[in-house]
Amino acid sequence: MPDARTRWGFLIDLRKCIGCHTCEVTCKMENDVPLGVWRSWVKVAEKGKYPHVARKFLPLLCNNCEKPICVTVCPVHANRQRPDGIVTYDPHRCVGCRYCMAACPYQVRYIHPLKKIVEKCNWCQHRVDAGEEPACVANCPTGARVFGDLSDPASNISQLIAGRNVSVIQPEMGTEPRVYYIDFDEQTFGAKRPLIWKWR
Amino acid sequence: MDGDAARLLYDVSHQTTFAWLISIYFYFTGLSAGSFVVSTMSYGLGIAKYKPISRIAVIAATACLGIAPIALLLQVGWPIRSIWNHFTYLNFTSPMTYGAFLLVAYPAVCVFYALYMFRDNYPMTRRLGLIGIPAAIATHGYTGFILAFGKARPYWNTALMPTLFLVSAIVSGLALMILLVMLIFRVFKPVRAVPGEIVEGLAQILGWAIVVDLFLTFCDIAVLSVSHEGAQKMAWLILGGSFTPLFVVVENLVGKALPLIVCFAPGLRKRHWLLALACAGVVIGIFFMRYVTVFGGQVLPLM
Repeated sequence: MPDARTRWGFLIDLRKCIGCHTCEVTCKMENDVPLGVWRSWVKVAEKGKYPHVARKFLPLLCNNCEKPICVTVCPVHANRQRPDGIVTYDPHRCVGCRYCMAACPYQVRYIHPLKKIVEKCNWCQHRVDAGEEPACVANCPTGARVFGDLSDPASNISQLIAGRNVSVIQPEMGTEPRVYYIDFDEQTFGAKRPLIWKWR
Repeated sequence: MDGDAARLLYDVSHQTTFAWLISIYFYFTGLSAGSFVVSTMSYGLGIAKYKPISRIAVIAATACLGIAPIALLLQVGWPIRSIWNHFTYLNFTSPMTYGAFLLVAYPAVCVFYALYMFRDNYPMTRRLGLIGIPAAIATHGYTGFILAFGKARPYWNTALMPTLFLVSAIVSGLALMILLVMLIFRVFKPVRAVPGEIVEGLAQILGWAIVVDLFLTFCDIAVLSVSHEGAQKMAWLILGGSFTPLFVVVENLVGKALPLIVCFAPGLRKRHWLLALACAGVVIGIFFMRYVTVFGGQVLPLM
C-alpha cells in the first residue's frame, strides 16, 4: 500500500511487447488526448536484412524524472513534482509558454490544441490516487508494462529491476528518468524520423 | 551506413515549440538593447560626438520594446493569464521568471531615460543611462539563458549562448542606428545631409562588433562539429543541410562577412549607399541568426 515513502516507478518489458498500440489507444481514451498529439506511444522499427529480419517496438511515455527539467524551467510553477515522484502539471496555472516542451529531452509534452496549455503523461495520477494502475498498464494484453513502488523492495517492479538488466532512455541528460526498460535496444531508439524542414 | 541500424516504420509527430514569434521577440529585444547602448554612448559614457543621434537611438530602443512583448504574448496560449501568473507565481530556477521582471523594468528605465533626455536634464539622463546599460544587457542576456537551459538541444545548450546573443544584439542595434540616422538626416532634417563623421564612426564600431560575433560563432560551430552525436548532426544541419542557405549565406555572408569588409575599408565606408546596403544586410542577417538558432536548434527529433 502507498505510504509517505512511496516512489512510483514504471517498467516496460520489451521482450513481451507485441506492438499492438493498446497503450496508445487506451491512453487517448482515459485522458481525452486530442487528435495529433500523444501522451504515450509506440515506436516501430525494423532491423536486419531478409531473411534475418526483426521488427522492434519501443513504447514511450513521460519518464516522470527524479530531477525533471520541466519543473526547473517552468516560469509559473505549473509543473510540480509530487511527494510520490509523479511530475504533474496544474492546468489552471499553466500559461502555455511552451518552455517545458522546448526543454524536455524526451519530447513527451504537447500543447493542447483547444485548451492552449501544455499537457503530458502523469502516469494516470487520478487512477493511481484511487488505488488503481495507470490505464496503459491495466490494459496491456501481454503484461509488458509494470507499475509499482520503487521504495518497497518487495514490490514486483523492485524485484524485476533488481533481477534483470534494465536501461533508461538518455541517462546522460541527468534527469534520472523513472521508466525502466528490459531488453532496451539503442538502435531502435536511434531510428528517427527524417528531417522535413518547413518554414514555420 | 544505415544498413546495420534500425529503420523507422512508425512514430508519432511532435509539435514545434518555438518558431517565428519567438525569433521576432528575440530579434526586437536585441535591436532595443543595441540601440540603447548607442544612445548611452554620449550621455552615459561621455563620447560627445554621438550626442546628435542619442534621441533617435532612445526612441528606436523604446519602440522596439513595444513590438517585442507583443510577439511574446501572441506566442503564449493564455496572454492575460500569463501576465498575471508571471508576477504572482515565481520559480527562481527559471530564466523566464527573471525575464518577466526585466521586461517591465527595462522599458520603464527606457521611458524615463528618454523623458529626461528630451528635457535636457543631463545628470538624470546620465544616471538612468548607466542604470539602463546593465538592464539592457540583462534583458537580452536572459533570452540566451532561456535557450541555454534547453539542455537536450545541442545548438542551444552552450554557455556561449547569452554572450552570442548579446554581441549579435549590439551588431543589429548599431546597423539599425546607421540606417535610421541616414534616413532621418536625409528626409526629416532641414539640412538634408548625412553626418559622415557619426555614421562612419558607428560603422567602425559595427565592424569590431561583427569581428567578435564571427569569432564567437566560429567557436560555437567548431566545438559543435566535434562534440557528441546530436551536436554533430546539428552542425551538419547548418553547415551542409537544410539550414545552410540561411546560416551560411544569409546570416554569415550577407549579415556579417560582407558588411565587415564595407565597415573596415575606408573607401567603401565613405560611400554611404554601400554602407546603407551593408547595414540592411546586417539587420536581415541577424534576424535569420535568431531564426536559425531558435527554430533550427530544435528541428532534430530527440525521440
